[in-house]
Amino acid sequence: MKRLQLQRWSSSVLSPRARTVNRLHQHIYGQRYQSTAPPVQTRDDQTTAIFEESSPLDEQLAQIVKDSHTRHSQLQYPSPPVEAARQSAKLAALHARLYLPSRLPIETLARTLVDVSADPNPNFNNASLATLGHDLLSYYATEHLICTYPRLPLTVIFAAMYAYVGPKTLAAMAREWGVDVAALPGGEVDPGLLQFQRLEPGTELPSGPTHPTARPYEAQKNWRKTVTSKIFYDDEFGDPLKGAKHSPAGVTTEQASAEFVRSVMGAIYLHAGRAAAKRFFEQHFLSRHLNISELFNFQAPARDLTRLCARESFERPVAKVISETGRKSRHPVFVVGIFSGQDKLGEGAGASLMEARERAAVAALKGWYLYSPLSVRVPSAMEEPSALPWKPVHVDLGEVIV
Amino acid sequence: MATSIAATKRPFLTLPFLFPSLSDSLALGFRRNQSSYRRTKQRLRVKPDSSFDPSNLGHDHIIHNPPSSAPNAYHTPSKFLPADDIRKSPIVSSTLNADDLPGVYKSMPERKYHLTPSDIEEIRNLRMNDPMTWSRNKLAKRFECSPVFIAMVCQASPEKREIQARILEAVQSRWGPKRRMAREDRQLRREAWGRDA
Repeated sequence: MKRLQLQRWSSSVLSPRARTVNRLHQHIYGQRYQSTAPPVQTRDDQTTAIFEESSPLDEQLAQIVKDSHTRHSQLQYPSPPVEAARQSAKLAALHARLYLPSRLPIETLARTLVDVSADPNPNFNNASLATLGHDLLSYYATEHLICTYPRLPLTVIFAAMYAYVGPKTLAAMAREWGVDVAALPGGEVDPGLLQFQRLEPGTELPSGPTHPTARPYEAQKNWRKTVTSKIFYDDEFGDPLKGAKHSPAGVTTEQASAEFVRSVMGAIYLHAGRAAAKRFFEQHFLSRHLNISELFNFQAPARDLTRLCARESFERPVAKVISETGRKSRHPVFVVGIFSGQDKLGEGAGASLMEARERAAVAALKGWYLYSPLSVRVPSAMEEPSALPWKPVHVDLGEVIV
Repeated sequence: MATSIAATKRPFLTLPFLFPSLSDSLALGFRRNQSSYRRTKQRLRVKPDSSFDPSNLGHDHIIHNPPSSAPNAYHTPSKFLPADDIRKSPIVSSTLNADDLPGVYKSMPERKYHLTPSDIEEIRNLRMNDPMTWSRNKLAKRFECSPVFIAMVCQASPEKREIQARILEAVQSRWGPKRRMAREDRQLRREAWGRDA
């Protein structure tokens, strides 16, 4: 919706208070850099009263000096003061748009928008909330994935975790929530904007781990790192742990947006409790569509399937041609099924017998790995009051290792 | 309408324009063929499937003829369900009989499991000491196993591998851009099979 252009209306429509956009007014009220809300700590009534009463020049000058002092005090803080949150229309709109619980105060929502690079004071930035929210997000996403698909290989779990709660997804969510970023952090900025110190263009981002990890033989770069060791030594996406989050150079927009979304999760948990946090996770994170069957990448599917059948003591898988057309033509199509005894494990179509067989093996392996129990309960469901007694979830032997 | 549908069921011999005429094959220059609008329309008039005919049922019904598609990856085959899952049915309800279907390969090699550890030691010695004579195929023939098995139990000496790599490089250096690109594309397509793309 476009904002009304009030200045263009005739003066008869406007009260003198509405028609205040002139140079003197700007001078008195101070230049507002990025905000649409009124600046904080200006005594609105008093100034307007002075303005309307056309007081003597000395009093006006005194007021200007006083306001500039206020402005000076406003500028000395790196982030907007706490009282400014109640005045921000953007914050109220964000609170309503996300349907946040009313027990979450708008001041905390304002705090989630202040990145650690904007305000290093831990009492006023979102670092602590983001840490809590990050742990909650990882926990809820992990338990959902492992309980829903108990046979998923670890690499696929890592990829799915990255898709659900990875930084790119969180940054996209912040954008979808309509959170704008401030060009520069400061005390005069509207508290409804995401405030962080931007990284200078052309700065090299550290690719590897920035600090020594607990992994032994870290110096051996060309040694193979097993997937299993990533559970222990690396983060929930299978990437090496990053070091201190705050660097003086600043952060990227993606990092700041991700920290904001995490801290919203943490704030909801702190103010509205566990149930509200879980509900928020289900509504905003789990509701995003992720086709897990597209995350697989098999190198030798036929061999893996043979090993799987040997491990589970099924009959050896045999590829059989179910139907075909145009074998001697330029574009033949073969439909091959993989059978173990009389049971069909998978089916695939391809332009050659080899392709159809490989695709059928891929389909069979996906059928194995994407098994999902009928009634899935996650461990955090036990935290609810009057929860039914816990039944153990399906635990699988693990992926096929050749 | 009913008569025209019946008319398309004419035997093939009554449609003389389908045969190549003698004059066609003899004519050297360009000549217009004998298909006309009426004949083309007539041949395209195919009787619809009976399930599409709403008059053969006494009541309203939904026509549902889904196109053939690949099975859903989220559907776990009955054999892969764990024993405590109630969806697991002991009866195989497959219309396909696996024994009736032809295999992908012409003949499945019989698995013999006849090689002893001393044989494998001999394979390794032969391949290491005289790799030019004892290639994988020759060893497979002598020990009556597959070349894949030879590759599983031993590896060629480093010198032989280097020679082989140089031969491959020499061959590939003679490829033009078309052949090189076609080989690379083939490799990429092959990798896409595993991603099911």
